[in-house]
Amino acid sequence: MSMPIGKKIVLTTLLLGTVLILVSIIAISAGSAGVHFWETLEFLTGKSIPDNATATIIYQIRLPRVILAAFVGGSLALGGLVFQALLRNPLAEPYILGISGGSAIGAILAMLIGLSYFPGVTIFSFTGSLLVLAFVTTLAGTTMGNTMLSRDSLLLGGVMMNAFCAAVIMFLISMTRSFQVQHILYWLMGDLATMQKEQLPILLLVLPCFMVIFILARPMNLLLLGRETAAAMGINVKNIVLLLLVITSLMVSIIVSLSGLIGFVGLVIPHIFRLLLGPDHRLLVPSCLVGGASYLILCDLLARILPSSGELPVGIITALIGAPLFIVLLLRNRA
Amino acid sequence: MPRYTHIMLTLVLIFLILPGNILAGPVVDQVGRTLVVPENPTRVIALAPSITEIIYDLGQEERLVGVTQYSTYPPEAESLPRVGSYVRLDIEKIVALKPDLCIATKDGNPKHIVDKIVSLGIPVYVINPRNLQQIMDTITRLGSLLRAEQAAKELVSDMEKRIGRVQARVKKGDHRPRVFFQIDAEPLFSAGTDTFIHELIELAGGINTTAGEVSYPRYSWEDIIVLQPEIVMISSMAGGLAPEYLLNSWKKWNLLSAVKNDKVFVVDAELFDRPTPRLIDGLEVIAAIIHPELFIKSNNQTEE
Repeated sequence: MSMPIGKKIVLTTLLLGTVLILVSIIAISAGSAGVHFWETLEFLTGKSIPDNATATIIYQIRLPRVILAAFVGGSLALGGLVFQALLRNPLAEPYILGISGGSAIGAILAMLIGLSYFPGVTIFSFTGSLLVLAFVTTLAGTTMGNTMLSRDSLLLGGVMMNAFCAAVIMFLISMTRSFQVQHILYWLMGDLATMQKEQLPILLLVLPCFMVIFILARPMNLLLLGRETAAAMGINVKNIVLLLLVITSLMVSIIVSLSGLIGFVGLVIPHIFRLLLGPDHRLLVPSCLVGGASYLILCDLLARILPSSGELPVGIITALIGAPLFIVLLLRNRA
Repeated sequence: MPRYTHIMLTLVLIFLILPGNILAGPVVDQVGRTLVVPENPTRVIALAPSITEIIYDLGQEERLVGVTQYSTYPPEAESLPRVGSYVRLDIEKIVALKPDLCIATKDGNPKHIVDKIVSLGIPVYVINPRNLQQIMDTITRLGSLLRAEQAAKELVSDMEKRIGRVQARVKKGDHRPRVFFQIDAEPLFSAGTDTFIHELIELAGGINTTAGEVSYPRYSWEDIIVLQPEIVMISSMAGGLAPEYLLNSWKKWNLLSAVKNDKVFVVDAELFDRPTPRLIDGLEVIAAIIHPELFIKSNNQTEE
């Protein structure tokens, strides 16, 4: 504990970075065409040259997907962390708060109109997420800092917003021509398979979001002490909260428009790291980013190799792991 | 002399192997895309059950290295490697099978997956048959793609002959009964104008009561009573329900002339849901149901 914070950040990030690289190599070496860990390692280190089909599978099918999983996992974990800090609620998460649902409505509307993934679907999805965010936070009365409404009202507002979004999504789907339905349904379940290589550059847009959140890690620590205290320590609470909420929603919308609804990553990862590393956000931000990436790469690997034929949408795996954990956390919070 | 034959044999073998690598000129597929295909494709993946079926019909199954889920006809196709279902193709498996040609359908395979396969350097020929004439065109195209022109020609002329035979007989009928074709139950769906089922009903001398813009419109019992069908056909796959159950669901509506006159039939779904030559079997079944007086009794299938 006596280690200076800078050194601690570097060490933790290096350690988690190594895990990320290892997990990525495993994910790249396994799939429906077979699992070849050592061979893949030999290809990556240049010891042998893969044949045409294997090279295509590794570099053009699995690698882009692992990159996508890393970005999606990192962003969602970070999104969860930020929401939990800002709303001072350990159960806050973009999916549970209905923000993912709002951005899904926007995205589906854009898909039905026939807009391209970028910028059309992303902009619609961002708008949807902002609307839900505004509604949920206003409802809970926590954004502008005067009241300390109970965490239940925030969660309930989110759950209701989620239910409402689900109804709107079902309505949109029921109005859709048959062949589009399949695509939208899988996208809703959270699916990294529909990803196309051309969409990868869009992911770069979340990098500035990462930077802003990392820079604001210290103010986030102070916000945890309470808004009055933070203000007394020279923090412009209103601006910082607003900036963080908008940046995080933007990040989540970009991710949702690419990968659909993948829930609970933003709940599982920040909780694990808070348990391991304590409450300092300067440490938690990079850890959640890199840890979330590894986690979703692993979940996606399970989604790809568990079924004997075909694959599962990764959102099913994350929900199967995350929902029970949510209940455990809820019980512990009550105790 | 023996040495000479040896060399000849080697040469012959080389020539047998070589064409696999020779690329034919660019061809245009059924959706207007231009692509370069191997002159003699030897590793073909059929991306939908209907395509598998046509390739078997052409006798070219030896070229097939992969098919999709539900490729159940002919039964031999079940032993081929699967590459996912037609809406959810497993691209990794496709690449691993090292195909030199994939054949896709516009109707079933999502465009972005087809684009992805193409971007990986695998030629994809897309078919898009919308009616019987275009199915025959598809067969001719696949025949020339797979060097089975003669088989394709025979298959098409057989189909034409059978369609002609049905048309000739139906012409003799003086009444065109009103037909309701139920493709799904709970909820109840029927077939609109832009479907093979509509085409078959009209060819078989009936009137499709659910003709209209929507391909697969949903119906309520109220709508059906207004439609007053004289003949009802139920797809055997409807709702995954038992044929007896499906028939019974109609029984209580005996104000319908179809029910009153015992004209409710369950028909084999396999003959109607894939754009293949088996649709002609379906045509013959439907024609015999609509105009039993014009067809030999033995043609009449699965009567209630």
